[in-house]
Amino acid sequence: MLVVDELKKNDPQLRLVALVLAGGLCVLFAGLWWVQVVSAREFQNHREAQAYRTVRLPAVRGKICDREGRVLAENRPRYNLSLYFDDLNDQFKKEYERIRPVKITASTPPFWQFWNRAKTMQTNRVKLKQNQIDALMWQARGNVASRAVTELGRQLGEPLALDLKKFMRSYEQERAMPFTILSDLDDGQIARFHEKYHGGLGADLVLQPVRSYPNDTTAAHLLGELRQDDSSLEGEESFFNYRLPDYRGVTGIEGKCNPALHGRAGVESVLVNNMGYRMADDVGTPPQPGADVTLTIDLDLQRAAEQALATEIQKFPGNKINGAVVVMDVRNGDVLAMVSSPVFDPNDFAQGISPEKYRQIQELEAEKNRATFENYAPGSIFKPVVALAALDNGLNPFEIYRVQANPSKPDRGCIYIGKRKIEDTALPGDYDFKRALIHSSNSYFIWFGMQTAHIENIVALGKKFHFGERTELFANQETKGVFPTATQVLKRSGWTDGETANVCIGQGAVDVTPIQIAVAYSAIANGGTVFWPRIISRISSPDFSGADAVTNFPAAQVRDHLGVKPRSLKILRDAMFADVQGGEGTGRKAAVAGLNICAKTGTAQVQDERNRLTGHNYWFASFAPAESPHYAVVVLLQSPTLGGSGGDNCAPIAHDIYETMVRKENAPKPVARN
Amino acid sequence: MTNDTLNERESKLERLQLIAVFGLMVVGAMFICSATSSSAQESQKVWYAQIWFRQIIWYALGLGAAAGLCMVSYHTLARWSFVIYWAMIVALIAVLIPFIGKTHGWGARRWIDLPFYQFQPSEFAKVAFVLAGANFLSRPPEELKLPENFWKAIGLMLLPFVLIMKEPDLGSALVLLPTGFVMMLVAGTPRKFILRLLAVVGIAGVLFVADVLFAPPKWQIKLHEYQRQRLLVYFGKDFAPKNATPQEKEAARRLQIDRSFQSKQALISVGSGGLTGTGWGKGKQTSLQFMPSGAAHNDFIFSVIAEEEGFVGSVVVLTLYAVVLFSGLRIAGQARDRLGKLIAVGIVTLLFSHVFVNIGMNIRIVPVTGIPLPLLSYGGSSVLCSLIALGLMQNVYIQRRGY
Repeated sequence: MLVVDELKKNDPQLRLVALVLAGGLCVLFAGLWWVQVVSAREFQNHREAQAYRTVRLPAVRGKICDREGRVLAENRPRYNLSLYFDDLNDQFKKEYERIRPVKITASTPPFWQFWNRAKTMQTNRVKLKQNQIDALMWQARGNVASRAVTELGRQLGEPLALDLKKFMRSYEQERAMPFTILSDLDDGQIARFHEKYHGGLGADLVLQPVRSYPNDTTAAHLLGELRQDDSSLEGEESFFNYRLPDYRGVTGIEGKCNPALHGRAGVESVLVNNMGYRMADDVGTPPQPGADVTLTIDLDLQRAAEQALATEIQKFPGNKINGAVVVMDVRNGDVLAMVSSPVFDPNDFAQGISPEKYRQIQELEAEKNRATFENYAPGSIFKPVVALAALDNGLNPFEIYRVQANPSKPDRGCIYIGKRKIEDTALPGDYDFKRALIHSSNSYFIWFGMQTAHIENIVALGKKFHFGERTELFANQETKGVFPTATQVLKRSGWTDGETANVCIGQGAVDVTPIQIAVAYSAIANGGTVFWPRIISRISSPDFSGADAVTNFPAAQVRDHLGVKPRSLKILRDAMFADVQGGEGTGRKAAVAGLNICAKTGTAQVQDERNRLTGHNYWFASFAPAESPHYAVVVLLQSPTLGGSGGDNCAPIAHDIYETMVRKENAPKPVARN
Repeated sequence: MTNDTLNERESKLERLQLIAVFGLMVVGAMFICSATSSSAQESQKVWYAQIWFRQIIWYALGLGAAAGLCMVSYHTLARWSFVIYWAMIVALIAVLIPFIGKTHGWGARRWIDLPFYQFQPSEFAKVAFVLAGANFLSRPPEELKLPENFWKAIGLMLLPFVLIMKEPDLGSALVLLPTGFVMMLVAGTPRKFILRLLAVVGIAGVLFVADVLFAPPKWQIKLHEYQRQRLLVYFGKDFAPKNATPQEKEAARRLQIDRSFQSKQALISVGSGGLTGTGWGKGKQTSLQFMPSGAAHNDFIFSVIAEEEGFVGSVVVLTLYAVVLFSGLRIAGQARDRLGKLIAVGIVTLLFSHVFVNIGMNIRIVPVTGIPLPLLSYGGSSVLCSLIALGLMQNVYIQRRGY
């Protein structure tokens, strides 16, 4: 080693210097080793953390279709006109330079520049304090942005103005993200933008999928509502710097099937510079689109039911009327239509709703799905249950019961339970089973309900119908109704004959939902099988391999069997057939040529806690065709002011629905879907 | 012995050192190019107006100047050394005068604007001091035992030191101290002087740092606010005094984040380079401007190299410097006389101080000071002076003892 040789010969001072030098270089070497090799990971993470922002990319929500594949809920593209801060950065700087105050001073050249005699004018920047600089920078950014917005407005042919507060907040918090200045451009605006805009303003169209319900209010309650919610679902990445707007279904199918419809959000990494401006994007994990859901709903019937209900309600302007319709396939429990009124437009919830509109919806309680989510006194439509219990326990349908006249209303009947008088809308006179059913005689059903059926048997049969229990159609939007239990109706539990009498005519301790009635009447129609109602038939999630992963939900899930004699059912069905087709029955307004309908009407009194009459529930519960039942149609209207009966108010609605069914079945089958 | 060694012995120039110097210049031009490539302003210019090419021009000018210096013996140069020294002192005074000295927006008056060139006298003063100091200390060792000569040597060092401090340019001023000290040591200044000097400097240094960090404001030495802040950052102290209001504390905290930004980003750059780095031109820290574009090609060029070439690149750079420094020490050992030896030792120490402080501040073992990395950092004055200094060293080698 030459260096060492030389140093050996030389004085110790030089050797000392060499040692110090070597020591110093070793310190640097060790320091670099520590920083670059030992702690490299830590610093690399730090660099990534400061240079990347993660963005949550919501997945495209799955579609919802009816049983024939017609779309009930889908997504449409929405174009937002947005500014990119990173493209405007240069203009921000230029504008700042422009508006920055300067002072102009005349200066004589210094003495040694003797050749240069001319005075020069110099522009100098005025020295500013930091807060003045900040304010000036905001002014510069504001100027640039509002000029851009105004110019874009001119190009689009409609005046636009910059929301300065929103702009500032967006700049501070989401600098790497586009700043929306006009959302949801229509086709004309998009065309004008493409035609007129030639860059330079940092603007671009940002595509965003938005939930859309092409049939507007149709099946609104069934489909449910979305709420804006960009929080991470279970199993997703939980930390994001930015989140793009995302939605979560809260009610209806959107709510029930949210995990499937929602899909899995993806991650985009945005590379940013020290100022937080976007430099480049890179999709880390693409979002996984949501699964499509196929319902058992028949859009034609759904529309017909809605139309029929709306038409009927419109006949009584000035009355506050709520209503619900359920159409069910009695053979398997499939829900074919489910309507609730008043309605709302689910598009409003997905695309932004005005406070006024929302207040209106709240006032009407329009969001409530009245087919499942409210208890109603069934009134006379409960009589078939009592009838079945009585017939099965030995009621002779030809046995005559004489209804006595009501002393206060001699043209109407009544019955006394102890000292309490129960009024009847049917005339006094002789009734056999069929006549009692089609005239809906309270006295007859109370008498035989108490004498022959007995409350224990009625309750036992009701249990098999699963009254007082949820049908599990919607988890968070279903009431279970009210129905007494076997122990409640024992004498020693304090149960009275008066209460039994009330149950016999569907008042008092019985409350139902339209969906429960649809299930019960389906059971009566199909020979005694109680089904779990079904509304979702299939969930098919798009797979990366192209093949769909399909989950089928089988139809005709049996919940229970009534276990009543077929003869009892037949007697009941014959009587219900006569109610519509007989010409004098309460349900005759539902009759449709070419279809034999079995039905029972009902008009129940609604009382408040202090037993004051507050309104009526009008019912029409039916199934058809009588010879081989296929459909059950349940119609409910509720109003505090409306007069009349279920036969008057609801039968016409059922009539319209049945008419549509007949037309649909007679129509030649379409070769392809529309 | 082989022919090779013989040839080397007879070679006019110290070749190994020259190769290392060329290596450093190549690295310098490459990474100045990389560090400035992300700047929009730079990329708009034609290639010959870009910074990396300007640096190459400075290299060429510097090499020319060095070659010129090698034409005359260093003895001749030493005779002029005091003229040069005092000329530099005048320039250092001139730079302090407003209208002559320019700040270029950095808050310190360090530059004199000449046409096409911003002249930075402190860089040249360092070389002038080495030359003058070597000339003064090369007197016979017996004379060095006289206290008056010791004090004269101290004065020779303190004059530029104080003037450069005044600019202020603490880093450039401080590198004069080890340089002067090592030259005095090698010249043979008696041990008692050396030890006393060491003690005084050590105590003064400790007192100074303690004063800045712990003394109540009234008792503190007047430093520029940014200098105090850099020291506070280095020692990890809070900016805000203990009795500050919450608002003041918050403002101070924000200021601290601002002030530690550069050194923190430099550390992230170096650390994230890992073993092999991101590759040339692919460093994220500069392209995303986390490493401020004004600093990346200047004082923080090492962080760019370290990020893009990793530990391997850092070691290559360290090795190149080690070759330059140790061959410099060998030149000192082979020098014909004490003047040559002192010149070589002075230049080696000067370069080493720059390298140590600059790389040290990148990995946070030294506080941030504005001091260039010789030959790698962009800057006309720094490049010229480094090459002139290396030329002087070659001059000493050319005139070495014959065998």
